[in-house]
Amino acid sequence: MNIIEIKDLTFSYPGAKYATLKNVNLTVEKGDFLAIIGNNGCGKSTLCKTLNGIIPHFIVGDMAGEVTVCGLNTKDEEIGVLSQKAGYVYQDFENQIIRPTVLDDASYACLNYAMKDHRTRGLRALEKCGLVGRENDFIWQLSGGQTHLLALAGALSLDPEILILDEPIAQLDPAHADKIYEVLKDLNENHGKTIIVIEHHTEYIAQYCKNVVFMKDGTPQWKLPSREALCRVEELEQADIFPPQVTVAAHEIQKSQETLRNKKLPVTIEEGMRFFEGFRYLPNDFIRKKSNTNSTKSMISFKNVSLSYRTVKGEPKQVFKDLSVDINDGEKVAVIGSNGAGKSTFMKLMTGLIKPADGEIYLDGRRINGDSPERLSETISLVYQNPEDMFIKDSIENDISYAMRVRDTPDCKSRTDELLKAFRLDTLKDRDGRLLSGGQMRRASLAVGIALKPPILLLDEPTANLDIATRHEIMRTLSELKGVTDTVLIATHDMQLVCQWAERILVLCGGRIIADGERDEIFSNRRVCEIAGIRPPDIFTLGRIIDPSARCYTTDEFERSFRRETVCV
Amino acid sequence: MKRLSENILDKFSIDFLKNQVLKNAYGNNDTVIAALDPRVLLAWYLFFGIVPWFSHNAIFLLGCFLFVAATTRLAKVAGLVLFLFALGVFSQTGYLLIVTMFFGGDSSAIMPLLVLTLKVATVSLASITVFSGLDPDKLSNGLMWYGVPERLSFSVSYAYRILPMLMEEFQNVLLSYRLRSNPPKPCGFIGKIKYLAYQVKVVIQAFYPLMLNTAKRSRTTVEVLEIKGYRYAASSREVRKMRLSSLKITSGDLMFIAVSFLWVSIICLVSTVI
Repeated sequence: MNIIEIKDLTFSYPGAKYATLKNVNLTVEKGDFLAIIGNNGCGKSTLCKTLNGIIPHFIVGDMAGEVTVCGLNTKDEEIGVLSQKAGYVYQDFENQIIRPTVLDDASYACLNYAMKDHRTRGLRALEKCGLVGRENDFIWQLSGGQTHLLALAGALSLDPEILILDEPIAQLDPAHADKIYEVLKDLNENHGKTIIVIEHHTEYIAQYCKNVVFMKDGTPQWKLPSREALCRVEELEQADIFPPQVTVAAHEIQKSQETLRNKKLPVTIEEGMRFFEGFRYLPNDFIRKKSNTNSTKSMISFKNVSLSYRTVKGEPKQVFKDLSVDINDGEKVAVIGSNGAGKSTFMKLMTGLIKPADGEIYLDGRRINGDSPERLSETISLVYQNPEDMFIKDSIENDISYAMRVRDTPDCKSRTDELLKAFRLDTLKDRDGRLLSGGQMRRASLAVGIALKPPILLLDEPTANLDIATRHEIMRTLSELKGVTDTVLIATHDMQLVCQWAERILVLCGGRIIADGERDEIFSNRRVCEIAGIRPPDIFTLGRIIDPSARCYTTDEFERSFRRETVCV
Repeated sequence: MKRLSENILDKFSIDFLKNQVLKNAYGNNDTVIAALDPRVLLAWYLFFGIVPWFSHNAIFLLGCFLFVAATTRLAKVAGLVLFLFALGVFSQTGYLLIVTMFFGGDSSAIMPLLVLTLKVATVSLASITVFSGLDPDKLSNGLMWYGVPERLSFSVSYAYRILPMLMEEFQNVLLSYRLRSNPPKPCGFIGKIKYLAYQVKVVIQAFYPLMLNTAKRSRTTVEVLEIKGYRYAASSREVRKMRLSSLKITSGDLMFIAVSFLWVSIICLVSTVI
């Protein structure tokens, strides 16, 4: 039975020249777990908003065609009726929470629709989302992952047949991401909900989703079972989607090995084990990720730094205790750890935005404990996780030139133009930073960050929410910084980025650095990974299963170092 | 001495302000005052917020002041709020005293000023007690019971909801300024004044990005309100009834009314006798 039927749907936003959705024809069966994939801006979110009545009832654009949800034509029904059939969790889910306390928010919609049992419904939804015991907490006491679960509970309380989630795990560490998907799986299998996710993480699609819709330029190109969909490696890569690493590696190896042609491509690690049966690890001479500078000049130095912050209730919370670390000139350092491990705070301490309670911090040999961030900004620069907060002027041109202008830098104008050009922002220079797309916003914030040519650059989650094309671009920009900004620190959950880029990895957990070293040392140490909630890239895990001594972090390395065992007679 | 000045400077950090505001808004839900019914508290506030303006009897006012001060203590109000209160009240009337003295007034001016101070102090403390004792939900329910339009009472509780987010965002924008600005050096008296002027300027300028960021966030919020049936609820009598059903007068409320009534009667009596 089809729960959603879309016929010849075309939609354009008010005032837009081009249609965002073009000739969409799509059916979704009841009980499906469907992933929608496609590059940034291909109309995925718009498509989902036609399902709960936001389009055409709230966003009134040009809509042609028909959308039927649970047998109801969305044009004829009110939003209130439709939103009880299809629940929606937004990408910026924290703006979806309306009420100050947890249970209140979970039952808010039910109360509004005058359901007598609104509290029980809220409680039931919280239970399904694993938030029991937090009912009376305030919203700001929840972690990012819990806030997402609450947004889900709020949608679930109305008991909708369909649940739609827009990039549910974009900002979460692996443990929280698993939790969300486990909840969704339970809802799908045991409560008969139809689930639709917009997702960039193909590893999760392989593990949890049943079907995949691939969208391009506002039109679904095909809908296939996940396995089959993820094996279309070339097509996906062209559309800026990463297929699972396991699949990519198998695909490449298949090209060169006749005997594997008929084998099905693997999409999960388990399938990968079967596919690569009989393969042996023959280490190739990789470029070892080792710092190419032998400089021992310390750029950043922490000596017994302690820090605690005030809480609204109770004792102050200790973030760092006796933290000591040295970062040398020219190092590329990744700072990893779960949500809330103190990665952002660690970076803010370096810029002088937060002062340590105890201990000393040195930048380029200078003690900075009492220095204001303004004084340090020529030495060190921080690019926030949330680029919106970096835009303080009304155009990105002004934003980029601001720091230079207030310092009367002589070549301010030419430097600004140079940066605009380097980051391909010259056509956008008069736009307000907030109104750019995700990738453009990232580029602009990077340009703002390096305007003063600081020798040290700190980046907080630079690749969150980006598709591959944008991600590659950020990576390229980072490699182009050589010469001026040599010491770079990145705080991230993105292990593929860590493996490709970092020369040194710091693992933060519970306010301490529990590991510090090259990727070999970190990812081979199972205990460290477990404690800090780090998940190595799938390709690394697969390699280790085939041969415990294997160390390959990217699909290229995997491809070069695994060979079919030849039987010697 | 250095410790002390650092300690005082610390009090002016945005982080500290944020903490104090949050403490006042959310941190007091386990006090005696917070357990009271919002309708009782609002009525009580109506009395102590209005009556003192119409009395000139110093003893009656002193009595009211002491009582309200006691309830403020019960409500465990955050330190910063009390400090601002003291600063506000006494700078206002203290300045009047100085002006009076300067223009040839004598000690007879003290009594009327004291009366004025007591009035202002009583009313302010009553407001502080009520608004820090009431959590946002209770406040909006209480207001709704008294017939305040749904939209206003919703705004009150939503304002509390986004307050921490706004503070966070504001802090980040301010930090953005600090990371890129080039402030005047705070050396010498002129330098210090310039530095202060710079800081004030930055705080004002930071409002512009804050507004835009908030506007961007609210695009989602508005859609969500629509999905969650906010529009239905606003016009439905039934929802109003369900929402107000959580209000209950308990024995604690009755005690509070009785004690207040008793105290007011006593001070009325004392002030007429003397």
